[in-house]
Amino acid sequence: MTSPDTAQPRAARPAPATGPRPAAGGRPRQTWRPRGTDAVQTTASLAALVLMILVFSVLDAQFRSLDNLVAVVDAAAVLAVVTVGLTFVLLLGAIDLSVEGVIGACALTVALLVANSRTGLDLGVLGVVVAVALGAAFGLASGLLSTRLRIPSFLTTLGVYAIGLGVATILFAGERPIVEDAWLSGWASSKFLGFAVASWVAAGAVLAGWLTQRYTRVGRYAYAIGGAEDIARLSGVPVARYKAAAFAVAGAFYGLGAVMATSQLGSGVVTAGSGLNFSAIAAAVIGGTLLVGGRGGVLQSMIGVFVLTVLQNGLILAGVSPYAQQAVQGVIVVAAVAAATWPVRHRLGVVK
Amino acid sequence: MRKPTRHRPTVLACVVASGLLLTACADDGGSTSAAGDGTCSPDEITLIGQVRNQTNPYEAAWLTGGDTFAESVGLEQQHLTYDGDSQRQQEQIRQALAGSGMECAVLNVLPNGDSDTAPIVAAANEAGAFLVTQWNKPAELNPWDGFDRWVAHITYDGEESGYLIAKALFDRMGGSGGVIALQGILDTSAAQDRFAGLQRALSEYPGITLLDEQTAGFDRAEALNVTRTLLTAHADHVGGIWAANDDMALGALQALEAAGLENVGVVGIDAVPEAIAAIQEGRMTATVSSDGPWQGAIGLAMGYCAATGELDPASVDNDDRAFFAEQFLIDQSNVAEFAAPELDMADFDCANVFERATGPIG
Repeated sequence: MTSPDTAQPRAARPAPATGPRPAAGGRPRQTWRPRGTDAVQTTASLAALVLMILVFSVLDAQFRSLDNLVAVVDAAAVLAVVTVGLTFVLLLGAIDLSVEGVIGACALTVALLVANSRTGLDLGVLGVVVAVALGAAFGLASGLLSTRLRIPSFLTTLGVYAIGLGVATILFAGERPIVEDAWLSGWASSKFLGFAVASWVAAGAVLAGWLTQRYTRVGRYAYAIGGAEDIARLSGVPVARYKAAAFAVAGAFYGLGAVMATSQLGSGVVTAGSGLNFSAIAAAVIGGTLLVGGRGGVLQSMIGVFVLTVLQNGLILAGVSPYAQQAVQGVIVVAAVAAATWPVRHRLGVVK
Repeated sequence: MRKPTRHRPTVLACVVASGLLLTACADDGGSTSAAGDGTCSPDEITLIGQVRNQTNPYEAAWLTGGDTFAESVGLEQQHLTYDGDSQRQQEQIRQALAGSGMECAVLNVLPNGDSDTAPIVAAANEAGAFLVTQWNKPAELNPWDGFDRWVAHITYDGEESGYLIAKALFDRMGGSGGVIALQGILDTSAAQDRFAGLQRALSEYPGITLLDEQTAGFDRAEALNVTRTLLTAHADHVGGIWAANDDMALGALQALEAAGLENVGVVGIDAVPEAIAAIQEGRMTATVSSDGPWQGAIGLAMGYCAATGELDPASVDNDDRAFFAEQFLIDQSNVAEFAAPELDMADFDCANVFERATGPIG
């Protein structure tokens, strides 16, 4: 690898040799494709996904129908948006366990702000914007607590999870707000070019996430910080600020995920995000966004999202007994992670 | 280095304070010990309601029912919620019963699981507090086995609930067609009993075929995803969806509406307000109500009657001390009555507290 960054070569060199490097000073120069081991790994993840699709297609004729493609994409929408957010945190080498709490609070918030059965409000788009902003605020809180108080993100986000769930419970107040806003309900029920509107929103969010990761400092510094935080700091990156910003970006995506989940569920549900945190982490890792930080990215994570969604869908259609499904799912997820990280396992160093 | 010394006075103060407290409590205990025989005056009684959480409409309604009863006797209900965490439930019970003078406490408890009931019963009996448990208890543990403070255990026949909604669904389908079943968390007795009820109904309706059964863990979001997947396979044949609770039924309803499928019957259990609204609007077929507000109030009422001496648990028939309570099928015909549920305070007169018992558990 040559180092095109002449402004601060020291910063560039020790960053992960193969991943996208920080835009330290000069303009980011980077090829579109991930290189080296990352590319190998992405190929491995994709191969796992393709293999899974092939196996299920052979097992069940329904699986390979166009209707089912739509069902898989629609089912993946919320997980995709949440995983985009989580990817920013994982790139830092941090972890975020607040997803379900933040989604709960944002879900109740959006349900209470658009036309609903409980409050007289009818803010429409503004309600959605507020919910996304609330998600960003929760993320920012996680980030600030981690960086300013120097508490591991594992703990701060666990705290924010509890706070989010608490806020959601207070807003719930014993009665679920039923969404009566036709526009928001339409996200789930109206189709555009065959897919639900929510799926297009998710596609837009993935694109936005990818652009943020590639062209903004928040995204580029996330790689530098995740690759080698102390070196990023020594080379003048305001680490704390950009870490907090990455958490805030993640929170905004959770907020959007909450809005989408609310439109699908038809009312503000405190547990709208149940199970999503674990699924999103698993999806990111399967796709190649590793927990060590600095590796992977939004698009890689999406491979993982589809692995999980196809798996869930395929197991049901293939007629695997519901009693065995969870176990089978666990085995396949572990196998997929092993397959995805196999080519780079010797580079991972210490495994904790 | 200075920290320990700075803390010493505080610790001392605490020890002294707790010593004083203990003495005070002991005095208190002495004066009310006479009340231990079920002759508490109403103002000595503490009412405690404990459920998993307040994030679902059912348990929120339970606590509201308890509040309504407490108000009717001029008391306040203390709310305890343990987030589905067995450890936390035990800890809360221990703390609630920690003081003395607990002979006039009344607990209406939803144990987290079957195995959580035994330690709760033991703790209440030891403290002398009156206890009513609901839903979960191990089959071999019964109030009449020497637990004079455990007034009763109330639960519902899940098999019957599953059967009632299945029949309502099959009748709506005209007795023929395909159904999809959404099961609850598979290793819970609630899920198993309800599903057994569905199977009994299926055996009575030969024209109905079970297209597929899946679990959606009693969860709305999961039910939405599972139903969406199942619909790709069965959209042309499905005439009804049987769900083991309303949350899953509502999730399935969203999936049906997103898929543009109308005229598919959907049934659930629990009678959450949204399901009742959906039945009113004709989007859902039926649900079964255990009457959450009644559950929240009846446990306190039974304990209250025992504490004031109007009800002697020992003289209550065994069949009434662990019983299946009456449940109500709600469909289009009677939904209006349940849209604005009101507690009938006469249900909580000490003479009527066992009115809804439909038979012993078994």
